[in-house]
Amino acid sequence: MYRPLLLALAAGLALQAQAIPPRPEAIAFKPLAFTVPKAGAFKAALSNGIPVYIADEPGGLPLVRIRVFIKGGSYLDPAGKEGLAALAGAQMRAGGTRRTPAAALDERLEFLAADLQAQLGETSGSLALDILDKDLPEGLDLLMQVLTQPAFAPERLAEAKRALRQGLASRNDRLDTIAGLEMPRLLYGEGHFTRAGATAASVDAITREDLAAFHARLLHPANLVVSVSGKFQRKAMLARLDATLGRLTAGSAARVSPAVPAPAYRARPGIYVMDKAVPQSLVRWSLPGLRRTDPDWAAATVLNRILAGGDFTARLTKKIRSDEGLTYGIGGAFGDGPYWRGNWSGQFQTRNASVAYALKLFLAEVERIKREPVPAEELASIQAGIVEAFPARWGRKAGVVDLFASERLVGWPEDGWADYRARIQAVTAEDVQRVARTYLDPAKLVLLVVGKADEVLAGDRDHPGALADVAPLPVVRLPLRDPLTLNPLS
Amino acid sequence: MNGFIQAAAAAALCASLAAQAPPILERTLPNGFQVLLVERHDEPSISCGWVVRAGSANERPGITGVAHLFEHMMFKGTRTIGTRDAVRDGELNRKQDEVMKTVREEQALLCERLRRGEIQDLRDPAARTPRLQAALAELDALVKAQRALIVKDELPKVYGQAGATGLNANTTTDRTFFHIDVPANKLELWAWLESDRLLDPVFREFYSERDVVLEERRMRVEATPTGRAMETFQAMQWQASPYSWPVIGWPSDISSLTRDQADAFFATYYAPGNITLILVGDFKAEEAMATLTRYFGRVPANPVPPPPVTVLEPPQGGEQRLTADVEATPFVLIAQKAVPSVHRDAAALDILAAILNGDSGRLKRALVQGRGAAIEAGCGFEGQKYGGTFRLYAAPVPGKGPEELEALLLDEIRAVQDQGVTDHELQKVKNQIAAYTYRRMERNGDLRDQLAEAVSAGTWRDFLAEPERLQAVTREDVQRVARTYFAREGRNTLVVRRKETK
Repeated sequence: MYRPLLLALAAGLALQAQAIPPRPEAIAFKPLAFTVPKAGAFKAALSNGIPVYIADEPGGLPLVRIRVFIKGGSYLDPAGKEGLAALAGAQMRAGGTRRTPAAALDERLEFLAADLQAQLGETSGSLALDILDKDLPEGLDLLMQVLTQPAFAPERLAEAKRALRQGLASRNDRLDTIAGLEMPRLLYGEGHFTRAGATAASVDAITREDLAAFHARLLHPANLVVSVSGKFQRKAMLARLDATLGRLTAGSAARVSPAVPAPAYRARPGIYVMDKAVPQSLVRWSLPGLRRTDPDWAAATVLNRILAGGDFTARLTKKIRSDEGLTYGIGGAFGDGPYWRGNWSGQFQTRNASVAYALKLFLAEVERIKREPVPAEELASIQAGIVEAFPARWGRKAGVVDLFASERLVGWPEDGWADYRARIQAVTAEDVQRVARTYLDPAKLVLLVVGKADEVLAGDRDHPGALADVAPLPVVRLPLRDPLTLNPLS
Repeated sequence: MNGFIQAAAAAALCASLAAQAPPILERTLPNGFQVLLVERHDEPSISCGWVVRAGSANERPGITGVAHLFEHMMFKGTRTIGTRDAVRDGELNRKQDEVMKTVREEQALLCERLRRGEIQDLRDPAARTPRLQAALAELDALVKAQRALIVKDELPKVYGQAGATGLNANTTTDRTFFHIDVPANKLELWAWLESDRLLDPVFREFYSERDVVLEERRMRVEATPTGRAMETFQAMQWQASPYSWPVIGWPSDISSLTRDQADAFFATYYAPGNITLILVGDFKAEEAMATLTRYFGRVPANPVPPPPVTVLEPPQGGEQRLTADVEATPFVLIAQKAVPSVHRDAAALDILAAILNGDSGRLKRALVQGRGAAIEAGCGFEGQKYGGTFRLYAAPVPGKGPEELEALLLDEIRAVQDQGVTDHELQKVKNQIAAYTYRRMERNGDLRDQLAEAVSAGTWRDFLAEPERLQAVTREDVQRVARTYFAREGRNTLVVRRKETK
C-alpha cells in the first residue's frame, strides 16, 4: 500500500525540482490519439427500415436516452394555418395519448423522473426520452403512445393557443425576435416558408382535426431516424426497439415528407433600419454563402474563423470589441445549408450612435482579408485551433449518435467528418483569399439594424460619418410589423 | 397508503446514490490553494477551473462592478503573455493612468455641470473642456502606442491552438469562476497559463474594456424589455445587503473604475487561501498534484485573509411593491426573502418549490390548466451565500392583467401551510432528485461547475450531502417552511404591465 505512495511522492519531488518553462510553447506534451468515430460502428436498422444509431455504455450512469428524429415541419404548414407544425409537434406530448390522458401522462412521467419532449421546427423535429434504466420498458411504452396515438386533448390545445397568442403579442419586445422575423423576409422573400410566421388569425384557424391530420401524415417509417445511448446491452435494446418502433407501419394518410423547397427569391442588398426606442442596436449581416459539400467549404470555415468566429481570437472581435470597446460580442458563421446554399451571417450589438462606425470597421476588415494574404502564423494558429479542438466535439456518446442520426435525416454524406481535419490543414493562404473574394462581396450585403433610427442614421460624433456613408448600399427604413397580423405598421 | 414501501425504496435509493458519488479528492497546497480532484477516464479531456470567493457582495458603493470587470481583465494577459515588451507596456499603463487622473478631474467638473442642469449628456463632445479633449487625445495616442506592443488575446490563442474549448469565466454575487476544458495531455498548459495569470496579471486595455462592459450592460439590461425593472426590483428587495446592486455594477461606477481600484481588489481577494482549483476528467491524481504544486506553488500566500462580509440583512419593515410598465409580456413575481443555500431549511424550500413546479405540479394545475388564468406559472428557491429568495411567478392569459394572479399564487402557498403536501407528491419529487443526482454528474464540466458552486457558498461536502439532505425532508418540514418564510412583511411583489410598443 505505502510503496506506490512513496514512489508517487518521490516522483512529485522530482517534478517539483524541474524548472518552469519560460513560455507555454516550451512545454512538451505526450501525443493524444484520436480517430473520428465511424457511423457504421453505431448503425443498425429496424425491421421496417428505420435507421438506428446506437451507443451502449454498460458501465455508465443508470440512464437511457432515446431520440426519434422526424422529417417534417413548418415547411408543410398549409397557407392560412401557419403555426400548425409547431403546435402539432408540442401537442403530441402535451395533449396526452388515447390510452393515457394528458394529466396522467404528465403525472406518470414526472413520478418516474423521466423527461419526454416533442417538438417540430422548420424542417424537422424530434421526440426525446431521457429516463432511468430501470424504468425503460414503461418509458418506451409511453414514447410509443405519444408517437403513434396522440390524443390532442382539446383543453390542452386551447391552453397552447393562449400561450402562443401571448407569445405573438410580444414579438416586438425584443431586438432579436424583431430581427429574426424580418431577416428571412429580406433574404428569401414573401413566397418562401421561412418568412411565414404564425399570426393570430392562422393560430385561431388551427383545429384539433388539423393536428391529427398533420400527425397522421408524418407518421411514416421513412420519415424517422432513431438514436439511442446509455446504460443497456446493445442486443437487448435493438430487440426492444424492433418490437416497438420496428413494427410501425405507414397508415393510409402517411406520406413520405417531400423535399424542402429552396427559395427562388434574390435578396435586395441594402442597409435596412427598423426603429425601436432602445439604447443599443442589434446589427445582423448576411451574404450568400455555400453548402457544406462544396469544395470550398473547408476554406470558408477557416476564413470565418479568422474573421468572425472562434471566440476572442477573430479579427472582428479584436477590432470592434477589444480595440474599440464598441460591443460585448461579435460573431459570424457560414450556414451549411442542407437544402439550399447557406449564408455568411452574423451579428453584434452596439450603442445606437456607434452602428455606423462599427460597420465601417467591419467592412474595412472584410476588405483587408480580400486584399492581404493571411500571414502564415495567423493561418497556422487558426487551423491548429480547429483541428485540435475537433476531438472535443466527439466526447460524449449521446452527442455522437445524435449527430449521425440528424445528419442522416437531412441527407448529409455518412462519415462526412472523417477527413475534415485533413481538409482544414490543406487550406492555404491563397485559398482563404480566393474564397474571401468569391463570397465576401459587400455589394450583396443585406444589413439589418434594429435600434433607435435617428441616432443610428446620424452616427457617432466622435467618429463622424452617417449610416448612409458606410457603404454604397441603399439605406431603407422598414416599419415594425403588427405582432398579431405581421402587416407593416404605419 | 404504501408508506413502508416508499420508505424502503428511499433507503435503497440513498444507498445507490452513495455508490454513485464521484470520488472527490481534497488537497491543500502549502500556500493555501484548496485543490479538488475527480478522476474519470471515459473521455480524453479534463474540465478545469478555479473559483475565487469574491463577487459583487465583496464590493461597496462607488466600486460596484469591479469584481466583474476584474473577470474581464484577467484575460488581458501577464508580463509574459500578451505583450512584446513588458517594460514599455508597464510604462504605457502608468502613463495612461496619469492621463486618466486629468480625465477624472475634468469629468468631475462635467458632473457638476450636469448636476446644475447646464449640460444633458456627459458623453457629448461639445460639452468637453479643451483640457479634457486634450487628455482624451493623449490617452488615445498612448492606447495606440501600447496596441503596437500587444499580442492580442494571446491567452485564448494559446489555449485554442492546443485544442482547449469553452474558455470563459463568470461572476456572481458570491464568487468568480474561470474555466476551460483541455485535452487530457494538456493539463500542464492549463497549470502554466492559470498560475501565470494569478501570479503576474497585467490589466492592459483597461479603459476600452470598461466600454466593453458598458456595452455588455446595455445588451443584458438596458436593451432588454424587463432588464431595468428586474434590476430595480432587486435593489428594492435588499436593503443593507450588497445583493442590492447588480453584479455588472451601476453604469457610473463602471465608467469611473480605476486600475488602482482593480489592483487593490486583486490584492485583497485573489489570494491562494481564497481560491479553489478543480479538475474533473482524465488524469492521474498524484501526477496532477505534482504539476499543480510546481506551478501554483509559485503564487505567494497572502498573509492577511480577505475581510468577511459582515452585513446581516435586517428584517424587512413591511410588504413592498413595484409596478413597471414596459414592453413585455405581463407577469407577476413575488419574492420572499428566505435563507442561504447552506441553511438547514434550504432543502425543504427546494422540495417545496419542486412540488409546486412541473407539468403535474400544483401551480400549473391550478393556474394554467384548471382555471386557464395563466399561460405559465412557476417558482424557485435560490439560496445564495448570505441570503436567499423564494420566488413565485405567473404570466396571465391574453387580455387579463397580472394582478389577479397574485392571490392565486399565494393560495397555493396557503394550501401547503394549512394542509401540507401528500406522500405521493413528496415521493415524486424525491424520485426526481435521485435522477437529477445522476444527470448533474454526467458531464465532467457539469460536475466541475457544481463543485465550484458548492465551495463558493459552503464546502464541497455540501455537494455530496445534498441528495441525502433532500431525501431526508419530511412532509412536516415542507409545511413548516411554508409557514415560516412567507410572512407578508417579508414579501416583495413586482407587477409588470405591458406598455404598448412605440
